Amino acid sequence: MLILGIESATVQVGCAIGGHEGVLASAHSAKGKRHAESLAPSIQFICEQAGIELSEIGVVAVDIGPGLFTGLRVGVATAKAIAFALRIPMIGVSSLDLVAFPVRFSSRLIVTAIDARRGELYYSFYRQVPGGVQRLTDARLGSPDDVASELLATNEEILLVGDGAIRYSEAFEGLAKVELTDQSLAHPSAASLVQLAHATALREEFERADVIEPIYLRRPDAEINWTTRAAR
Amino acid sequence: MIRPVLTARTSSVDATKELAGALAELARAGDLVVLVGELGAGKTAFTQGFGSGMGVVEQITSPTFALVQSYAGRLRLHHLDVYRLGHVNEALDLGLDELLDEGAVTLIEWGDTILRVLPQDFLEVHLLFGTEADERIVELVPIGTRWSARIRALESAVRPWCPIESQGPDESQDPDEQQGPADAGGGGGC
Repeated sequence: MLILGIESATVQVGCAIGGHEGVLASAHSAKGKRHAESLAPSIQFICEQAGIELSEIGVVAVDIGPGLFTGLRVGVATAKAIAFALRIPMIGVSSLDLVAFPVRFSSRLIVTAIDARRGELYYSFYRQVPGGVQRLTDARLGSPDDVASELLATNEEILLVGDGAIRYSEAFEGLAKVELTDQSLAHPSAASLVQLAHATALREEFERADVIEPIYLRRPDAEINWTTRAAR
Repeated sequence: MIRPVLTARTSSVDATKELAGALAELARAGDLVVLVGELGAGKTAFTQGFGSGMGVVEQITSPTFALVQSYAGRLRLHHLDVYRLGHVNEALDLGLDELLDEGAVTLIEWGDTILRVLPQDFLEVHLLFGTEADERIVELVPIGTRWSARIRALESAVRPWCPIESQGPDESQDPDEQQGPADAGGGGGC
């Protein structure tokens, strides 16, 4: 089964096609937050490179965040549109899981941290298990200092990954047991997405296109009360 | 609760624009300005003056239907109007987190309605009707450190519009419970 993966949770936007043979083609760009402009042409490009018609795709996998709001909106909308048009199922994968995937061979405690903007991070903890990594916590939102305190409290050797960790590296540089990975591992990749989704597809854990939603961690549930606001 | 507040008085739409332009010269990358005032109080006029002060040449219009408009100036200026929103989440749907994080200056009309999704670091500008038809009382309330640190510069900027010095040092912690300054429409003569 061929999987199209669409990833847009950070300043990088990417797509990949693959299946049981692994990733056949992928394209990523990280210049200037041009997710809307670059995603569709990139999908066309990787289809051509892989020698595949879009109609041959059996599953659309998509990064559902947490991450860059405007990026996710483009990626999730595009992925849903393709899934609806082709009448095929979807698989949603967390951006934090995707960032943990390339460092799954580390036996250290893995912490992924994606830039949440406005001085905060989305982050989660992972531990190596046979065949990959297991997420230990739900995705959380906190300041770099919050994250640094949590890392310190574990008293473990830690591998810290993600664009948020790099942006706020000064908060983590003083921590003796924490190693920060470099820019090459900072963003979730569409290739990782296809690989992770392939394992999910083998278990037939599909989702319908109409229930896939981006993960928002900064969503206060509040109506604007226009009648009482003018209390001056 | 009492907060530091600067009060100025303008006698025409053009004067409100000029005052806004003077404030705009103090704006730095990443600044947030929250505009509070009833319909017709001059929020859009203030924004136009603010835009001119930042070197925006393009005509600034009310973004009520577009919700967000961005202009090129000395710094980029994002102009939001949240009047038509029914839910604070809709403000996040505008990409608010990213707008506030890209080194531009953001100005939000009716911003007091979405305080819970804003960083607690902004200049609150109240536009109140005065006694004359075109008279407006302009109150400036720095919330958080960014603007509080510029209180002296703010004072100098609005001095031509006869600021009336007021009130104590207490900083607010709870934006949802805020009260207006005690002497809202009153105060000394120019």
